[in-house]
Amino acid sequence: MSSLPVTRPAAGELKEVLLSEEQVRARVAELAADISRDYTGRDLVLVTVLKGGIFFLADLSRALTIPAALDFMAITSYTADSPSGVARLLKDLDEEITGRHVLLVEDIIDTGLTAAYLLRVLHTRNPASVAICTLLDKTARRIVPTLPIRYRGFEIPDAFVVGYGLDFRQQYRHLPYIAVLKEEPETSLSLPG
Amino acid sequence: MGHNNINGPRPPVRFAHASEREFAKLLDFYVIRWEYEPRSFPLERDAEGRVVESFSPDFYLPDLDLYIELTTLKQNLVTRKNRKVRRVRELYPGVRLMILYARDFRKLLAKYDIPAISSSEAG
Repeated sequence: MSSLPVTRPAAGELKEVLLSEEQVRARVAELAADISRDYTGRDLVLVTVLKGGIFFLADLSRALTIPAALDFMAITSYTADSPSGVARLLKDLDEEITGRHVLLVEDIIDTGLTAAYLLRVLHTRNPASVAICTLLDKTARRIVPTLPIRYRGFEIPDAFVVGYGLDFRQQYRHLPYIAVLKEEPETSLSLPG
Repeated sequence: MGHNNINGPRPPVRFAHASEREFAKLLDFYVIRWEYEPRSFPLERDAEGRVVESFSPDFYLPDLDLYIELTTLKQNLVTRKNRKVRRVRELYPGVRLMILYARDFRKLLAKYDIPAISSSEAG
């Protein structure tokens, strides 16, 4: 792992760079090449989830050599006092996806719960296909093991990572690299015996 | 045992601990169906065939065909649960059972900025 650039304003709270800007850029180019090859001649729609996926989607789409539409979704975040108790879309797709090939572009897959929810939403619109492209794959706490992850940037260890769109309380998204927080946040929720 | 019903009202479920209730809420949020302690797996029987040791995972997710057990922070209890989980896997190789360790669950909740729940709220 490389050392932390000290010029970044948030670097003092970061433990280490997990994936450098160069590593991310190179892997994104590889993923784009794979996607360009696999989806040649297909009507491709890249869908990402606000806000975390925007940097990855922007770089990935610009590295494609095939045409692709871009679209965005946003869903409510889970909180202890979520009013409805159920996730809901804050922003739906603008594109019609019926009969089209959808690639869900994710910054990270962790438990898989969010991705599974979005896949169910997308499948109700009868796309020709749905697959996942995730930059980071953190499998340590995977609850949904059956996700159609077709493209995977990096498999990462069980750490709280930020940067390149990933945040902690809305901070660090702007970092061009993936870093590990110095002190991992933990809830003080008591646990069963 | 209890279960949620994502298409309608659910019967009340009495959880053994607040963390289990929080986990159920998380599953509800993402519209993942769950059942609470729906099955007990016999692990050991005496000479008369009576079950002397069993294991009841906390959750079953029918759409994923997956059992999930939440663990404690106390290492001696974790060790005991680990042994039971290993035994379930030996005796019931077709059963998919995931153990969610306390540290991992705390990190998972921290990701969502879940505030502290006092032990008095348990159960």
